[in-house]
Amino acid sequence: MSDLDKAIAQLRACRPIPEAQVREVCHKARELLIEEGNVVTVTAPVTICGDIHGQFHDLMELFRVGGDPPDTNYLFMGDFVDRGFYSLESFLLLLCLKVRYPDRMTLIRGNHESRQITTVYGFYDECLRKYGSANVWRYCCDIFDYLALGAIVLGAANSFPQPTDSTRSEEYYDPDIEIEVCDADGNVMSRFRRDNGTSGDSEQKSPNGTAAKTGPPGSGASGSSGGTVGNPTGAVLCVHGGLSPLIDTVDKIRLLDRKQEVPHEGAMCDLLWSDPDDIDGWGLSPRGAGFLFGADIVKVFNHRNDLSLIARAHQLVMEGFKEMFDASIVTVWSAPNYCYRCGNVAAVLELSEDAGGEGIFARSNGEVGRSDGGPGARGVLMDAENGALVKGGPARRYRVFQAAPQDSRGMPAKKPVADYFL
Amino acid sequence: MAAQPVPHPSTDRKRVKVYELRNNDWFDRGTGFCTAAFNSEEGQRNPRVIVESEDQPDRVLLETRICKDDGFHKQQETLIVWTEPSNGIDMALSFQEAEGCAMIWKFIHGVQQQYNAANPQDDSLSDDLPMDMPNPITLPQASIANLAEIESQMRMMSGSANGRDALTKYVLAEDFIGRLIPIVSDAEDLESLNDLHRLCNIMKIIILLNDTSIIEHAVSDECVIGVVGALEYDPDFPSHKANHRQWLEGEGRYKEVVRIEDDQILKKIHQTYRLQYLKDVVLARILDDNTFSVLNSLIFFNQVDIVQHLQANGKFLGELFNIFKPGQQDASRKKEAVLFIQQCCAIAKNLQPPARQTLYNNFIAHGLLEVINFGLKHNDVAVRVGATDVLVSMIDHDPQMIRQTIYRQIHEKRAPLTDTLIDMLLVETDLGVKSQISDALKVLLDQGPPAQAEAFAKANGEYAARAAPRLPPSQDPQQDQFLTLFYENSAAKLFQPLTALEGRTSMEFTVHEASSFTYLIEILCFFIRQHHHRSKYFVLANNIISRIAQLLHCPEKFLKLIAVRFLRQLVGLQDEFYVKHMSEKMVIGPILDVLIETMPRDNLLSSACLEFFEFIRKESIKDLVKHIVENYREKVQELAYLDLFRTLIIRYDQTGGFTANMDYFLEVEEDVGRRRTNINPRTGGPMEHLTTMDQAEEEYWNTSDDEDDLQAKSSGRTSALNGASPSSKLLVDYASDEEVDDNIDAGAISADEDGQEDGVRKSDDGLPNVGTPPERLSEKRRREEDEEDDLSKMIQHKRRNSTSATSNASSTSSLLRKKKGMVGGRDSGGGPKKISISLSSNLKSGDGQSGNQADDEA
Repeated sequence: MSDLDKAIAQLRACRPIPEAQVREVCHKARELLIEEGNVVTVTAPVTICGDIHGQFHDLMELFRVGGDPPDTNYLFMGDFVDRGFYSLESFLLLLCLKVRYPDRMTLIRGNHESRQITTVYGFYDECLRKYGSANVWRYCCDIFDYLALGAIVLGAANSFPQPTDSTRSEEYYDPDIEIEVCDADGNVMSRFRRDNGTSGDSEQKSPNGTAAKTGPPGSGASGSSGGTVGNPTGAVLCVHGGLSPLIDTVDKIRLLDRKQEVPHEGAMCDLLWSDPDDIDGWGLSPRGAGFLFGADIVKVFNHRNDLSLIARAHQLVMEGFKEMFDASIVTVWSAPNYCYRCGNVAAVLELSEDAGGEGIFARSNGEVGRSDGGPGARGVLMDAENGALVKGGPARRYRVFQAAPQDSRGMPAKKPVADYFL
Repeated sequence: MAAQPVPHPSTDRKRVKVYELRNNDWFDRGTGFCTAAFNSEEGQRNPRVIVESEDQPDRVLLETRICKDDGFHKQQETLIVWTEPSNGIDMALSFQEAEGCAMIWKFIHGVQQQYNAANPQDDSLSDDLPMDMPNPITLPQASIANLAEIESQMRMMSGSANGRDALTKYVLAEDFIGRLIPIVSDAEDLESLNDLHRLCNIMKIIILLNDTSIIEHAVSDECVIGVVGALEYDPDFPSHKANHRQWLEGEGRYKEVVRIEDDQILKKIHQTYRLQYLKDVVLARILDDNTFSVLNSLIFFNQVDIVQHLQANGKFLGELFNIFKPGQQDASRKKEAVLFIQQCCAIAKNLQPPARQTLYNNFIAHGLLEVINFGLKHNDVAVRVGATDVLVSMIDHDPQMIRQTIYRQIHEKRAPLTDTLIDMLLVETDLGVKSQISDALKVLLDQGPPAQAEAFAKANGEYAARAAPRLPPSQDPQQDQFLTLFYENSAAKLFQPLTALEGRTSMEFTVHEASSFTYLIEILCFFIRQHHHRSKYFVLANNIISRIAQLLHCPEKFLKLIAVRFLRQLVGLQDEFYVKHMSEKMVIGPILDVLIETMPRDNLLSSACLEFFEFIRKESIKDLVKHIVENYREKVQELAYLDLFRTLIIRYDQTGGFTANMDYFLEVEEDVGRRRTNINPRTGGPMEHLTTMDQAEEEYWNTSDDEDDLQAKSSGRTSALNGASPSSKLLVDYASDEEVDDNIDAGAISADEDGQEDGVRKSDDGLPNVGTPPERLSEKRRREEDEEDDLSKMIQHKRRNSTSATSNASSTSSLLRKKKGMVGGRDSGGGPKKISISLSSNLKSGDGQSGNQADDEA
């Protein structure tokens, strides 16, 4: 068993690893992360996760529900630390897994991966308590600077793979299923068919019979969520917060020098701080950083960049996930019972691999102006513009889960200060 | 009401401090004398509490009306707290003497009792002191048999405000906690888990009643063990038992370096520790906002008392600092004393500045600086950490205090503190100490706001209005002399690892060397921004730029990155001197090499390099464009598959290399003109920044004589005085050199247009958060907003010094500029050009603010 595997085992038991080992892991992680672009390319299948916020036991529950790494590929969209009582163990475990399985773990930066924020919201104090000095916090913060700002998921399937084994005995197979919501044990709670423009299948879309266009659970019951208006071959952009008025193409993200503390303004800040909102265009964010952006912004951005979906985290959603703007953007939240008291459920988003390979499309790499999305994508867009068949986005399976059963963990608490003079 | 007998008004003046809760910190509004009296006005007799300022007797620090039966609460011996009904702000009066507090309280309490009596709903409550009150409620006798009944009754009562009130009074009057405690051990003896769970629930309800007297009682010596004992059996974790008692009873947690004679203070120290333990461990999961802030206030006021007591206690301080006197041998005691002082200073950070000042003054008078000196050179890393911590907290408090010492040292021809710090920085292995020392050096050598802002204001008259308040006061001659000395003697030593790179061929570095470079280059960047002519001369004389450019040949990518970022900062200054210097030293070629080498790959290094050239292109730094294309045409050609580099070549070719000393001002205008056309509707649709070159080039040439644009621009300039400055990004960036490090890339991507500054919104955002709205668990929906982060709020917190954290002073201006950047961003950011700061977003921001309170706690 290598040192790294030992560290992983120790962290899985929720015990911090020694400072020297943290330094070593961070050193290795730096070498890996420096090789990653600002926007990492990830191929499906992948399980996309939102905020963790130091809820270590719930992270374990997430791995139970979503499959253990490295068997499942994971993409975490930031905010690993703060608020929960085990930021240190959670982040270090994810980082160790990243170092151990670089191709199967993707970590991108959230607004909490910052020196300033962590000094206020708990991670700094936690490190100080657990190690007696802030050095581990400094190591971690240095690594934060190297984390990618976003990820692009390519090759996601448009339909769920036909079940091959009978263990997950689906009673029928329907290639038109677009969204599937499962509970923590993998039982299907609900399915939603693609809205392919033909009328008459509304009974499936409105299980409660209230409206013909009731959105799936998690969509805030918005009456307008009628499947994705996008292109089926498009990629999925993952980013912690959202869009920026300074970023109109994904390639522009690649032109940022990300190795720095999250600034108070500018493109990098916006990517980590913005929120979608029911407004037109851009609005000021009540958070004091980033912006609010409306459906029009998302749709234009997705169209221009040949995206079928933007996945982001950053906002608590009680149902664990929430699709907005005709499923052009989704918020995924992976910290159940947030802050140990919000009573929300959490979710992860599974994108499966496209067997036919039709989901893959060419992308430019790092330079601007060449990203025309490839001939395939252009063709589809033209179709869409001509009012022809508009297929939905990638097939999405949301696994919803609750906080780890209380018995499975000790009582969550901060580590007390050991000695005191005053 | 007037018919009721009134208590005799307490007209004696009592010395008191007025506190106001801001962002969960108690803010000192000042010291004054408190009176409480009826004030006849408009035929009504209004009971009022008034505090008149001590310094300016005609200034009223506080005037509040007693208008509710339960508005005011007395805490401890000397505190009265309440929530101001008019604005919901939590206030506190901290009396110098318990007697004064009692007087005022007697009056307030008397008035409140009358309201009580006047209120028919509450007439079950007596109009006498609470202790003598007949119990409005009764709970079953505290015994194991009754626990279920007690729990359900208490749970019910704690659901309503009146119930909670009555329950609170009952618990206090009957010493209910004291009665429960024996039952805990009984239930443990019987191993009755059910009863223990019930006891735990009951104890939780009692504590979450959120009454300071109850909580103080719960952490008292008599009760605390019993209370946390009950809380060890949490029914949420039926298979677990916490070990709070073991922890709190543990010997040796409390370290007494010097005997504290005062029993009250000693009690407070223990009580504070327990309160912290309660907050962090026992109740961590279940705390609601109110209880959280009550605990925090209790801790805060205790700490204030403790520190105030210690710093005023000459005998104690004498003993404490005697530990370090020569002749004292006990090494471990010295270590503990350093750690003790460290903790003192950590607590002092929460004190109000004047109190902190006295503390430091007293410490210094007793020899704190010698202690720091001792600690910095200690071979135990914990002591070094402690000493740097103390030093940094003093510097944070008032750098001038430490600078004065340094001036004195210089005057006495002794080695200044900075030299000690430099020596340490070069050999220190502990990362934490290293980064704190480098921060300390920066602050000590800071000479106030950058003079460039001033120079800039001169060059651009219209900007003077805004820049003026930031102009530095006349340069401190001592600081000037200090800096001169620093550059004569110390700078060379500090940057020796960089200058030593000369002639070095192997670019393999040890971990220690590599981390030194990180710090040194960061310090250097700071100096370059701060000490203009001095640092320029230093950089020139030591050929620093070439040295750092050597790092571009390192095999280690992160070191290359450091070099790229350093050069990028220089370019960001847009200082002619550095542009020239960089050209002469031919350092841009190596960056091109790094890029070419990395380029097919998309990684951090290539992004940083691309950003470097993108900045040059976007800001149109013509001398550099010329330099790059003239000297490295082949390399640029090699990269010409990127629009960015194609544009550079074309730009050069079109100007025929002619960039000769054109008036800088003109250049700016030209640039601005070009930018304006970028968003000109006639070009159709949203402009991508990286347009096809013909377009860009066409605009480039068309617009310098485009009168409309120039006019538009100049009108924009005049309106800059009203806070709207739709002129160029350049202007804004330039004025804010002080924080190049975090803002350079802000606009580097595509925001060419600075829009109007939204002054109104800015003030909205800047509102401090006031009050702590009560929040119940059931309001889950609201949480959605509450739990979100708020940067503006965070910024108000004192930031910890950290390696690359941005400078404190800049946060406000950066926010300001953010608002400016925003409109511009909207214009150029693709998508429909709707400008929509919708009303809803305004409302939201209000929401967000009221909800932000949760942030601190969560």
